[in-house]
Amino acid sequence: MSFLTIEKASYSYQGVEVVVDGIDWTIPQGEFHCLVGRSGCGKTTLLKIAAGLLAPTEGAIHIQGTEIREPSDKVGFVFQTPNLLEWLSVLDNVLLPLSLKRSVQPGDTEKARDLLTLVGLADYTARFPRELSGGQQSRVAIARALITDPLVLLMDEPFAALDALTREELQDDLLRLCDLGKTTVMFVTHDIAEAIYLADRVAVMDRGRIRHVLDIDLARPRAGDIRYGGDFNALSLDVRRAMDGAL
Amino acid sequence: MSNKSNTGIRMYSCLLLIVLIAGWELFCRVSGISSLLIPAPSAVAETLWAGLTVGFLWPHIWITTVEMVLGLALGCSIGFLCGVALGETEFLRRLLWPYILASQVVPKLALGPLFIVWFGFGMTSTVVITALICFFPLLENTLTGTHHIEPQKRELFHMLGATRLQTLLRLKIPSGLPVIMAGVRVAVVLALVGAVVGEFIGGRSGLGASIIAAQGMMDSTLMFALFVIITALGMIFYQATILAERWLLRHHMKGTGQ
Repeated sequence: MSFLTIEKASYSYQGVEVVVDGIDWTIPQGEFHCLVGRSGCGKTTLLKIAAGLLAPTEGAIHIQGTEIREPSDKVGFVFQTPNLLEWLSVLDNVLLPLSLKRSVQPGDTEKARDLLTLVGLADYTARFPRELSGGQQSRVAIARALITDPLVLLMDEPFAALDALTREELQDDLLRLCDLGKTTVMFVTHDIAEAIYLADRVAVMDRGRIRHVLDIDLARPRAGDIRYGGDFNALSLDVRRAMDGAL
Repeated sequence: MSNKSNTGIRMYSCLLLIVLIAGWELFCRVSGISSLLIPAPSAVAETLWAGLTVGFLWPHIWITTVEMVLGLALGCSIGFLCGVALGETEFLRRLLWPYILASQVVPKLALGPLFIVWFGFGMTSTVVITALICFFPLLENTLTGTHHIEPQKRELFHMLGATRLQTLLRLKIPSGLPVIMAGVRVAVVLALVGAVVGEFIGGRSGLGASIIAAQGMMDSTLMFALFVIITALGMIFYQATILAERWLLRHHMKGTGQ
């Protein structure tokens, strides 16, 4: 069943520069799709269109058949930086999406604590963002995106600023969380290995168009050493060639 | 900087003060200069002590403090509200900005005589001058602070479907608070200048009016004693503001070496 559908979405900047050029894309429920490409290829713009943050110049976005015209509760968004509010505690940061809608119930606090436990920050609820490491801040950002039980999670290079080991830990945590909630994910990255490790399907984007699509049939759940196997390397080479425009 | 070297520097700071005062005292005694020109520190201390124990200085301290506090509260709150209003409405900002800029450069104290015509001699004129002086740093800093928000944070609030009021109260103002508090600090220093100079022009009592009275009596020693009190008053207010700022920004500052 198609869940998130992007139909002929185009976006041009001030009517001149075409950033996203007639993209069709469908993500079935519970699948994890990665979008890779060089900086400026339009992948972040496509993600923002899917989030309802930008209105496409042409085309439409549907989630479960409903057209998305503006940001909705059904969609969680994780930004390039953790983007936490420094003046709120970790717990209040996670509760922010709810507290903007209504008054926070004891059940909500309970749920936020559970999410923070799932991302390994059970002891950090009363801390403040500036007291956390980059990896911990990213974990809070993921918990915040999941507090509203979104149907779709959109992620814009959320781990780009982290060191390699922390990034791998967070990738494993993310896969675990998405599997738990059967969340549908669209994940933008420029890291080929990250895309292959996380995704069911990888799309290579260049100059506003999807140039190549690759199904990743590596077994799940995926664990650390899969990254160094032969299949993984072969897939990486495929994506790399597609990015070079050889395919 | 380590704690140890910090206390060391503070000690030298105090030592410098003692050396300066001792040098000043010595100069007055050796040169036999008239106390009308430069009174000796010991004489100033004596006058100060007498003024505080006998009590004739206290009403003046009280008046100036009240004027300063009222002027600060009035000027800061109006400045803050106007800053928010201008920050939120592009139209108002564009319409009024040239006027705000123009009124920034007008020396506010020069309006003192006019205020005396409007509000009469005494406290009201001084409070109004003080408020007017405090108004601008708050207006400008509130406008700047609430305006320069990281684009990603704006997008976050957009994504979460926050209303305009929610974005203002829960993003723009808390995020701009460090800049707004810097404006308050400037306003506190200016408020003391405003209150004292306001009294020069139109005050009947207060520390500024007392300086004018002391000048009339050619009592330089009393004038110096009043300077000491004004300085102390300014230091107390400034330190209180710093403490308030630290408390308000305790989470903003964490992990940045504060």
